[in-house]
Amino acid sequence: MKENWTTLDTDLLVVGGGVAGSMAAIPALEAGLKVTICEKGKVLDHCGSIGCGVDHYLTVMDTGPEWDTPEFLIKHVPELTDGIVDMAVASRVIREMPRIFRKIESFGVDFKDPKIGTYYRLRSFGLPGTYHINFDGTDFKKHIGERVRKGKATVLMRTMVVQLLTEDNRAYGALAFNFRTGEWFAIRAKAVVLAAGDVNRISRNASGLAFDSWHLPYNTGDAQAMGYHSGAALANMESVEATLTPKGFSCQGLNALVSLGAYFVNKSGERFMFKYDKKGENARRAVIADAAINEYLLGNGPIYLDCRHLPEAMLDHMEATLQVDRYTLPAYYEQKGVKFREELVEISVSELSIRRSGVYFRGSGLAVDTNGETSVEALFAAGDCATVSGGISGAAVLGHIAGEGVVQRVRATSGALPEIDIKAAEMVRAQSAGYLDRRDGMTWKQLEDETRQTVTDYVGVRRSEKGLKLALDTLQALAKREAHLKADDLHGVMRIHESRNIRLNAELMATASLARKETRTGSSHLRLDYPQTDDRNWRKFVIVERGKDGPAVRTLSTDRPLADAFARNAATV
Amino acid sequence: MSNQAKAVHNPIRINPETCVRCNLCDWICPGDLIYKEEDNRETLPVIKYPDECWYCGLCQSICPTNAITIIFPEQMVRNKTDVVSLLGKVVE
Repeated sequence: MKENWTTLDTDLLVVGGGVAGSMAAIPALEAGLKVTICEKGKVLDHCGSIGCGVDHYLTVMDTGPEWDTPEFLIKHVPELTDGIVDMAVASRVIREMPRIFRKIESFGVDFKDPKIGTYYRLRSFGLPGTYHINFDGTDFKKHIGERVRKGKATVLMRTMVVQLLTEDNRAYGALAFNFRTGEWFAIRAKAVVLAAGDVNRISRNASGLAFDSWHLPYNTGDAQAMGYHSGAALANMESVEATLTPKGFSCQGLNALVSLGAYFVNKSGERFMFKYDKKGENARRAVIADAAINEYLLGNGPIYLDCRHLPEAMLDHMEATLQVDRYTLPAYYEQKGVKFREELVEISVSELSIRRSGVYFRGSGLAVDTNGETSVEALFAAGDCATVSGGISGAAVLGHIAGEGVVQRVRATSGALPEIDIKAAEMVRAQSAGYLDRRDGMTWKQLEDETRQTVTDYVGVRRSEKGLKLALDTLQALAKREAHLKADDLHGVMRIHESRNIRLNAELMATASLARKETRTGSSHLRLDYPQTDDRNWRKFVIVERGKDGPAVRTLSTDRPLADAFARNAATV
Repeated sequence: MSNQAKAVHNPIRINPETCVRCNLCDWICPGDLIYKEEDNRETLPVIKYPDECWYCGLCQSICPTNAITIIFPEQMVRNKTDVVSLLGKVVE
């Protein structure tokens, strides 16, 4: 390589230092592998979606009762996902839950409620048991980060991976840059784990502030976009996720609210959730969001959060845990002048995102096999960028599975890694330099605003063939204008890469949505022109991958694991 | 309605009297918004990209002298948006 590249050789390269990426690093470090992590944040202990903390953790614990066994939860996965789920991967994730939970406890995470001296387990989101541990997870990520640091991983902070290196459908590294210093890295690796999270900043919300999002706004579908460019298959990209948030502040907290007994009421004071699901506020998140969307469309808005009926002790607990999930929520209520214990709080539907469509175990993103490996050999994915996603525990468990998969893959691989093509690498860097050199052109904010408006209007929760085609035309026209993007500084170059990834994810979402000619899971994929769920024809995955002229679509029966669609398995199947 | 036309709101207020210029807020910000000159105890942190804030409050939570206050803008605390406008256009 040229002297102005920093070159690194490693066994495992992890893209994203959140829960999934860190948990993937841990078994690799334990096996003695050399691990390098690239992360856009600066402090590993606080990186990723729950760098601020988390207040719940979904797990089976195998404590005795039948409902607490993996097999019981696995049995309910088809109904939880409306039949669109990779049962092979979801089953492995659920079976591994107790083991990984205990491993995380051994890192020092205290899941117990100090008041009761044991786990405070609650039921929510349509799950068939009290699988959610409600706990003070302020330091959850800190303990996992510490474990990674103790294992002596190389961590490149404020560093964004912009392109994967692949040859013959095998990953062997990536190109990355530090957006504080401008240093460029060419990293060769025997395996790569993509763990860069979900896709945010992709549609509008009530405040109109792009970075006011329910989930981390710096997760911009980087893994999905890079995987796509490398030929990896993605699935479930048509499904969108929304939640309910205080109107004006897209923040976490719905799980704690509903599991502790809060109600939602419409403008007439009607507790409307039971019209949509017999479980009421304990329905799946997708159903809760869909119900609120319907109430607004029926003219029954505003929708309110109602906690007035709850006992004082419950309200105290709620107040304490809300702060754990989003540190600033109490300050927000205070500045707003709202006392949620005594008054109704106006609620909005959040912006849309691509994650797991409001249901557990059906992730939208990179298709993986039971080892967390994508359709590209040695390229793994875990967390909210993978097709089995289950919140923090899903990220932790699939991350750990992927890390163990990496160990197997690395041990089974012999021979030298390919040399990096200098010319191709220089082109990637020159493109970024070009953003800085350009005086006139489009800003990343313009690109993103147009993407968000297009998604909100035509790819959101009321889809039709005509609207989706209109959206695809607009999004593809926007792609052509990406050649004219300009940045003022390295931070802006990083945002340009993010915005381009957001636009590409929007195009993949529109493409998959157009293909699925039915409605499934309410507003997660609602086709006005195909308003019914069509189990006879659509118990299928929609798979999107890079074609000759852009995204190409195929389908696979959900009776089969997604890995059956992987070309790398063709010789062995 | 024209949220973007308004002047950029600064969500992260730093009290120069109590700030000890320690760099922690710069380090912990997940969005690369806060820039503090390293090894210079004279300069204050600068909120370089205020409109990219997530309002997570990590900077406030880690500040050793409680010098940081998070201020929410008007469109977050008194929001007037018609939620139906976020639910898509019907094209048939």
